[in-house]
Amino acid sequence: MSGHRLGKGGLIDRQRALTFQFDGRRFTGHAGDTVASALLANGVQLVGRSFKYHRPRGILTAGSEEPNALVELRTGARREPNTRATVAELFDGLEATSQNRWPSLGFDVGAINSLLSPIFVAGFYYKTFMWPAAFWEKVYEPLIRKAAGLGRASEQSDPDIYEKAHAFCDVLVIGGGAAGLAAALSAARAGARVILCDEDFVLGGRLNGDRREIGGCSGVEWTQRAAAELESLPDVRVMRRTTVFGAYDGNTFGAVERVSDHLPTPSPHQPRQRLWKIVARRIVLATGAIERPLVFGDNDRPGVMMSSAARTYLHRFGVAVGHSPVVFTSTDDGWVTAFDLARAGIAVRAVIDTRTKISASLLSGAKQTGIYTLLGAQVVATQGSHGLTRVTVRKHDGGMENLKADALCMSGGWNPNIALSTHLGGRPRWSDELSVFLPSELRGTIVAGAARGSFTLAAALREGAAAGAEAAQSTGHDAPAWSAPTVDDELSGVTPCWRIADSRGKAFVDFQNDVTADDVTLAAREGFTSVEHLKRYTTLGMGTDQGRTSNVNGLALLAAATGRTIPEVGTTVFRPPYTPVSFGAFVGHHRGKDFRPTRLTASHRWAAERGATFVEAAQWLRAQWFAEPGETDWLQTVNREVKSVRSSVGVCDVSTLGKIDIQGKDAATFLDRVYINMISTLPVGKTRYGIMLREDGFVMDDGTTAHIAPGHYVMSTTTVNAGKVMQHLEHARQVTWPELDVQIVSITEQWAQYSIAGPNSRRLLERLLGGAIDVSNEAFPYLACAEFQWQSMRARLFRVSFSGELAFELAVPARYGDATIRALMTAGQEWGVVPYGLEALGVMRIEKGHVAGNELNGMTTAADLGLGRMMSTKKDFIGRVLAGRPGLVDANRPALVGLKPVDRSKRLFAGAHFLSSGATVALNNDQGYLTSVAFSPMLDHWIGLGLLARGQARVGERLRAYDPLRSGEIEVEVVSPVFFDPEGARLKG
Amino acid sequence: MAHSQIELTPRAAFADLPITAPGSGVVVQERDELGIASVLARRGQHEALTKRVRERFGIELSPGPRRSAAGGCAFIATGPGAWIVTVERASNGCVTSLTDALGDLAAISDQSDGQAVLRVSGPKAREALCKIVPIDLHPRIFRSGAVAATVAAHVGATLWRLDDDPSGHAVFEIAVFRSLAESFWRALSESAAEFGVRMNGRG
Repeated sequence: MSGHRLGKGGLIDRQRALTFQFDGRRFTGHAGDTVASALLANGVQLVGRSFKYHRPRGILTAGSEEPNALVELRTGARREPNTRATVAELFDGLEATSQNRWPSLGFDVGAINSLLSPIFVAGFYYKTFMWPAAFWEKVYEPLIRKAAGLGRASEQSDPDIYEKAHAFCDVLVIGGGAAGLAAALSAARAGARVILCDEDFVLGGRLNGDRREIGGCSGVEWTQRAAAELESLPDVRVMRRTTVFGAYDGNTFGAVERVSDHLPTPSPHQPRQRLWKIVARRIVLATGAIERPLVFGDNDRPGVMMSSAARTYLHRFGVAVGHSPVVFTSTDDGWVTAFDLARAGIAVRAVIDTRTKISASLLSGAKQTGIYTLLGAQVVATQGSHGLTRVTVRKHDGGMENLKADALCMSGGWNPNIALSTHLGGRPRWSDELSVFLPSELRGTIVAGAARGSFTLAAALREGAAAGAEAAQSTGHDAPAWSAPTVDDELSGVTPCWRIADSRGKAFVDFQNDVTADDVTLAAREGFTSVEHLKRYTTLGMGTDQGRTSNVNGLALLAAATGRTIPEVGTTVFRPPYTPVSFGAFVGHHRGKDFRPTRLTASHRWAAERGATFVEAAQWLRAQWFAEPGETDWLQTVNREVKSVRSSVGVCDVSTLGKIDIQGKDAATFLDRVYINMISTLPVGKTRYGIMLREDGFVMDDGTTAHIAPGHYVMSTTTVNAGKVMQHLEHARQVTWPELDVQIVSITEQWAQYSIAGPNSRRLLERLLGGAIDVSNEAFPYLACAEFQWQSMRARLFRVSFSGELAFELAVPARYGDATIRALMTAGQEWGVVPYGLEALGVMRIEKGHVAGNELNGMTTAADLGLGRMMSTKKDFIGRVLAGRPGLVDANRPALVGLKPVDRSKRLFAGAHFLSSGATVALNNDQGYLTSVAFSPMLDHWIGLGLLARGQARVGERLRAYDPLRSGEIEVEVVSPVFFDPEGARLKG
Repeated sequence: MAHSQIELTPRAAFADLPITAPGSGVVVQERDELGIASVLARRGQHEALTKRVRERFGIELSPGPRRSAAGGCAFIATGPGAWIVTVERASNGCVTSLTDALGDLAAISDQSDGQAVLRVSGPKAREALCKIVPIDLHPRIFRSGAVAATVAAHVGATLWRLDDDPSGHAVFEIAVFRSLAESFWRALSESAAEFGVRMNGRG
């Protein structure tokens, strides 16, 4: 037991005790604790096993940069792996579990890897599991993944809700420490719209982890006042528990707000997390700095932690990290930890400073507190099985000294936290003066405080305030003068010490990925001297922490190993997300059937009541078939629907087809130019089938156009291409022929439209419409159209047919769609009317040889589809010129044919390829393929449409339909694509 | 057998949609009785149309994405020379009167059934809408009369802001394709659930 809770101090609520479990053991913490601080307060040092060597690991930091203390949080469906204990807020009943160990944290079989470590060096996997190659996927990779894992996902559906939100501001301040608060205050006081995001649940950053004075009050009090002032202003949003994880184009930032992560379960209707898209006019980056570890032997032993983290546990959480800690430092800042610990009554065993000369004030401080001081000395080894018990120091004179210690606080200097500054391609620049990488100049962004290498509190406040004022000013707000508060003095001297020479044991650079100093030098020796190669070869910086604590040390070691300077070596950069973001947050509302929006027709509710089976067509749900009681097989249902339509009457919802209103005195000219056939000759009250091509000459879509009134046309499109055709027409209207007087608008949604098909369709309509319109063959012949008054509405009727039967399409305003489908069913009772779905529609169109999506596949010409004669030679139209390319008029092109199995009992499969009899199965013998197949209840066998080379000339020929995936091979006969009623007599009845 | 006239009952786009979290943070009202038409200026007739709208409707068409309204009729600009016109309590009937008034200068198409319109108000309307609409709804930015052609949770939408209600809360109306009303409602009602939702009667 080393860590312990002190009798007083900290920003925790000592009145509120919280119980929690770690690996099944019960502990008590307080409100305001993190899992890490509560574990330390309970003397727990060992919290996990490392990724590769399974070495015991403790808590290294007190922030989101933590590489070691990753735990599984919660249980069951809410179990989350790889949660950083240093940022996980404690709640009552919390359950945490250590990771990557078996059977237990204390005794881990995988730790054998550590004994074998001489072979587990950088590139080990690349070198070892090379042969035999076939073993990689089946044997090596699964084994390696099992051994070198992090936590386990829950594998259950997430019970919580997630959502997304959008925010806009003049000034986005990222980071709620001293610089960020000062920036937010000065921008907000100027009247700017300000958003302040901080990843922590308490604002203040280092002000909570240090004992500082600002303007006569403590740093904590100053923070609380600043927060209160900000929250009192109407145009300021303070977002705690919110990590800005990515910078994107257009001053857009991604942020995740952990709304309920600190609660056992979210309150009703509260999301677990909220993903914010923040658009800011100006940005103040006040992301602070991250302390750099020292690279010495066995520096990963539990009990070794960052010096600033020890201070945070002391001041913010009232936790001492040990009874007899040592401080190992190359900075003045390390001394602050020593003095603060001593002031709290903790017996600091020693301060080991790598520097031979330090400031007089530090020396006198050491003298006053009686701390044993070793200058020019280095820790070269640590001991202790599951936690630190002793450190070995090489003194300035070369002599060795062992010191008993249960904690080691290391201070290697601070690296500005520049991750976000590199997301949009900003290249960090090296400062020789500070020995750190600084962010590059960024448009619209001002960096303030420690994030730009200004490590003192006074500078953070000054720069933050100036940045806030500048950002507010540049968005049109006059900032009042900032009176800089007085701040207590501090020293910030650093002499970087990249590696402790002659360390014993492994000296870790990257704790999360188990990369040691020797791995870096080995990589350099093997030729991986570029930073990007170093990263990938050793995995340095590739963990979930993105090497926050390790990158700069790694670069420095590579520089030393290759005799270059750090700027010569260069640096890798960071990518979003800054810290891991759960998939749930990215998904938000769009899960399950809300993955994407669903479009429902006006008859949907009725169809659902009828027990329809639905299928997706573009975004729509369409009825696929309507099974009747007793029907056991979809084919049985579809056959019945087809037979009923062809023998009496059926109704099908065709509302999903695109409908485009085209008006204007040049509407006919416009239509002539977008269709291959002539539309301008179409009289009012008539409908015509049309084909339109893309600019490249291939067929884009087909449909009918009705001349509903003078200068007023209604075009129909296929369901799937409705949006694309609209776009195509808008482009033609706005860009190609802006001189034409033509107005187009989608009216798809306005109308519910039903196809009434079959020999009794006219009788049904007469019954339904009750004389509202004369539908006799004389008054309303094939391809007629009309708008008419029916009850209280204007309705439209078209005599068009996709089924080949006598058929009408009745369009009503969509609000009447539900009532109309029910009325159609009632009116048709006498003739046994059936509703039919998409499948029956498809069967009937194949029986009639009508092309649909499978044939209009973007690779077919009008001639391929047997519609070449529709191409008018009397006018120009989109696609005409390129449709005349040699390749598109080649007589050998695959063209539409019908296919029947020679053995009529055989089933056809779409996708089967045609081969001449005797030809070997090879690509160059391919003659085309089956595009659409159906069982024809009228012919009582399977039929198909296909695209066959020189197709129309080959009627009567026999071919093999080759389908190695399903049926193998069957013999088919080439026939006309029109299988049923080839004269079209039924249509015109 | 005589014709048995079946009386056809219209069905509102947002009919029977469930409220899962009753409360008063967000107030919604379906606008089923709003007559809606698209109005597209004929080529070269923009100025004449502006003049005619002023004469016949007493409405001054403002340039840009703005809603201009008078006497229960509103012109909601959605693009150059393009408007959605709404007429209170007119339903499908609005097309005839609009065509009579403007038909020679603009192409009029009925959209009363194609557009499903929901009025969204209440103290938390902005907080709920900001979860599904990627535009800045700040009162100084998206002012009364502002219009946006945008998306709401992947659903194409037209959003406009009316005058504040008597209690000073912002009032928005949002129009989506009718077929998407249910998907849109799920996104909106889930987003508003934490504030509580109340459904007002139709209007």
